Amino acid sequence: MNPFTARATKSNPSANQRVRFWYGVLMFIIILFITRLFYLQIIRHDHYRQLALQGQLKQYSIEPERGAIKAYSGSQLVPLVLNQKLHTLYGDPKLIINSQKTAKTLAAITKSDESEYLKLFKKADTRYVILAKRLSEEQKNKIDDLKLAGIGTQPVNYRIYPQGTLASQLLGFVNNQGKGSYGVEEALNKKLAGTPGMLKAITDANGVPLAASEDNIQVDPKAGEQVVLTIDVPMQKQLERILKEGLDKAKSQSGSALIIDPDTGAVKAMANWPTYDPAEFFKVEDGDVFNNASVSSPLEVGSIMKTLTASAALNQGVVQPDTTYYDPGKWTLDGHNVTNIEEVGGPGTHNIADILNKSINTGATWLLMQMGGGEINQQARDRWHDYMVNRYGFGNPTGIEQGYEAGGYVPSPRKGFGLSLAYANTSFGQAMTATPLQMAAALSSVVNGGDYYKPHLVDRIVAEDGSIKINKPEIVRKNVVSPKVGRDIQKLMEYVVEKHTFNPKFSGNYSIGGKTGTAQIADPSGGYYPDRYNGTYLGFVGGDKPEYVITVRVNDPKIGGYAGSGAAQPIFGTITHMLIDNFGVPTKTNQ
Amino acid sequence: MNDKPRRSSNNLNRRGTSGDYKILGESGRKHKPDYWILILSVVLLSVGLVVVYSISPGLAASQNVSQNYFITKQIIDVGLGLMAFAVAAFLPTKIWFRATIPLVVAAILASIIVMFTPVDAVYQAHRWIRFAGISFQVAELIKLAVLIGSAGFLARQWSRGRIEDFNGTLKPLLVMLIIIASIVAKLQSDLGSTAVIVMMLGMMAFVAGIPLKRALVFGAVVLAIGLLAISTSSYRRERFATYLSPETNCQDSGYQACQALISVGSGGVFGLGLGHSVQAYGYLPEASDDSIFAIMAEKFGFIGTASIVIIYGVFISRLKKVIERTVDQFNRLIVVGVLAWLSTQMVINVGAMVGLLPIKGITLPLISQGGTSLVFLTAALGIVFNISRYTSYNVTEPRNNSAQNLKTSHSLDGRGVRRAYNASAVSRSRP
Repeated sequence: MNPFTARATKSNPSANQRVRFWYGVLMFIIILFITRLFYLQIIRHDHYRQLALQGQLKQYSIEPERGAIKAYSGSQLVPLVLNQKLHTLYGDPKLIINSQKTAKTLAAITKSDESEYLKLFKKADTRYVILAKRLSEEQKNKIDDLKLAGIGTQPVNYRIYPQGTLASQLLGFVNNQGKGSYGVEEALNKKLAGTPGMLKAITDANGVPLAASEDNIQVDPKAGEQVVLTIDVPMQKQLERILKEGLDKAKSQSGSALIIDPDTGAVKAMANWPTYDPAEFFKVEDGDVFNNASVSSPLEVGSIMKTLTASAALNQGVVQPDTTYYDPGKWTLDGHNVTNIEEVGGPGTHNIADILNKSINTGATWLLMQMGGGEINQQARDRWHDYMVNRYGFGNPTGIEQGYEAGGYVPSPRKGFGLSLAYANTSFGQAMTATPLQMAAALSSVVNGGDYYKPHLVDRIVAEDGSIKINKPEIVRKNVVSPKVGRDIQKLMEYVVEKHTFNPKFSGNYSIGGKTGTAQIADPSGGYYPDRYNGTYLGFVGGDKPEYVITVRVNDPKIGGYAGSGAAQPIFGTITHMLIDNFGVPTKTNQ
Repeated sequence: MNDKPRRSSNNLNRRGTSGDYKILGESGRKHKPDYWILILSVVLLSVGLVVVYSISPGLAASQNVSQNYFITKQIIDVGLGLMAFAVAAFLPTKIWFRATIPLVVAAILASIIVMFTPVDAVYQAHRWIRFAGISFQVAELIKLAVLIGSAGFLARQWSRGRIEDFNGTLKPLLVMLIIIASIVAKLQSDLGSTAVIVMMLGMMAFVAGIPLKRALVFGAVVLAIGLLAISTSSYRRERFATYLSPETNCQDSGYQACQALISVGSGGVFGLGLGHSVQAYGYLPEASDDSIFAIMAEKFGFIGTASIVIIYGVFISRLKKVIERTVDQFNRLIVVGVLAWLSTQMVINVGAMVGLLPIKGITLPLISQGGTSLVFLTAALGIVFNISRYTSYNVTEPRNNSAQNLKTSHSLDGRGVRRAYNASAVSRSRP
């Protein structure tokens, strides 16, 4: 074979034959590619389109703006809770390129520690580290302009509180998951939260929606409704101040006070101590402080209950306002004695006014006996139970717009041991529990002429479109007592206030009535503490008829004497002065 | 036969000295070049520019660089590529023939230098020399050196009639191939470029006329080495496993293959439109370079991809036409090498994007972003463009420029052979 002539032989094809063979292979591959492309792009198009959308089409929930919470200050509506858009700064340690420089520039903007950032950037186990929270729009823009690799910001709505800690337990807060916790925020979470919107959009791999794609669907969020509270802002401020000062004087760590309008059930002010700053709820260590004790912490209310026992007896007609009776100073029931405090002064003839004024336990027990025709029997218990539960609303939450409202406890009239003793105890506010709000609402139903209004905090709700829904006062039960009984109780309680010393004294022609309570504190291990009491006060102030019903509660004061008269009564006095001086309580017209 | 090894080594040592080989073509009549080569190159470069321009914002956003970063870079690269094409188009091929040694030395030096640069973060290999903001992919220089060097070596061996000589031709070729392949595949971890180099060398040797049996053995050896290379690297094993079933590994190793298929498939008949690629926004890795075909498939649909593939087909046909009409063996082998370069790279790239081949980090010729690969390929095409000026009118077999060619020089088309050739070379090369 001559290698120099490139002649094709069977075993050794010519150069061009080889080229053509190779060319044929390449053309075959090209046809193969076109066939494959036809298969992928036309036959399997729908399959891959679906796969593409699975990855690219992302659905986002657009957070609606949460409704503001407002209340009146005089005739002006002032905000208690508003929203503010702030920004969270985060980093992806995996994507950060120049750690040193990034940390330095960011620290300068957020005014934080550069070395702290460097430490966070070195975290290998996470792709999301939070570098700063609550950055302003301005800070956010500065950071965005830097276009730092692996650094991003995201907007977060925060609740802000123009009035600081005012009414914090009543308002509640919005937790880190965006859900209302405690107070109005929890009770009205649905209304306040609004309806999230939805964005279905083709996005880039990082989830940023790409500009106007035909596949994008956007449903706008519906902002939450605005809530206007019945709270009177200046009154709330003063109540909180008065409560705190009163507790300090009584050497008490905690307490509550509330003012309610007896003719509507609207809560005008509701204060608790200790309190917290809802803007910094996350700094609170003891979660108890979140509770609005006026509605969520029932207690054995003590002698303030006697006003309601008397109302029940009067309304049943088993006693009259001027009825006198002989009090033995001691009843023995179910093997236990019901006795009085020393000041009552042993056996003697008393009337209803004395029972309230001197706070005679045996007198309250006597009133209960009259309901049973002279003894604490089934009838007495059933009747009194009916009053407590069905008329005064004890044992069940009132339904006020608050998270974690408690219902309190009323013993069954027919089941259990020592029922007579237990029921005698309930007649002066022991062996049962109620919240300060329940007490205020019950007394309101008595002194307003017999209508039990559902206690409420919401005056009206303003929807996103501006439409207003007034929260009309709701009568839960009519004829709790007769209007006459209401007037009688008003007089009897006025008598109690007259017979007690207030500093400063009340002057002017006002109807001011009240009743102290000193309740033993139950020992969780059984029985009662021998030397620890809660002081309570239940009263009202008004002209011809009560304008405001007030409950004061002072937990475990350390000043000696009776907690009711020593600790709670002065606070009631100051509140009453405050209401007369600043909130236009009308005077009586019939004198 | 027994004295051949010594001689062949002598020949190898003298490789690159043009004294014993005279290029035929340039003594022939010069005519108009094949403008199709220029037109097709410009068409593909333009397609690349348009596609890179359209996905530039998305790429810029995902990498935190300025909006115009990618398109500016591509415009510069295309400009450099066209300049390289122009320069190569006007350089006589004998200059390339003589430049073999400097080119080989440069490739060796670059391969050494690259070992001292930091390991590339993406590929965990030494692929690029980065200097003053310019990155230079060493494998591309090696391709050019292989193209020129092998064409010269094979043409010389062929002209001496030693093309069928195992020890003189195939053995040194295999040794060279193993050295280069191990450098590119192992140290630079670039199996795609290795495949291109293997194909270039293989096809040049094949077209130069190595015996068919040996060609088959050669192919088998290359295949065996290839499989060995895949099985010894875990990262390649993974890629190969992924290749066999991409959709089961969508979240990890098969991510790019999956996203490529999704991009291609979601294009449909007409595509989503130029500005409507979504996959370029961070889903498909290497959207502007290795994966650009899939992005085009998404944008332009089957109509677009079929057109692109057909354009490559036309390009291949033009190059084949030049080969068939080139008389000089060196020039002819250059075009063979360039055809192998272009077609292999296209086949590997498109094959991977349509899920027929495993994913390799390799660019789509002339379209992908990637400065070095673009400039070297356009330079090579410039050489072909120049060679196309000396083609004969009819299909022709290569003609030997040495003595025995004298007897045929008067026949054929009468062009090309005007001078007598080095007779001593003839005598030495006679077996």
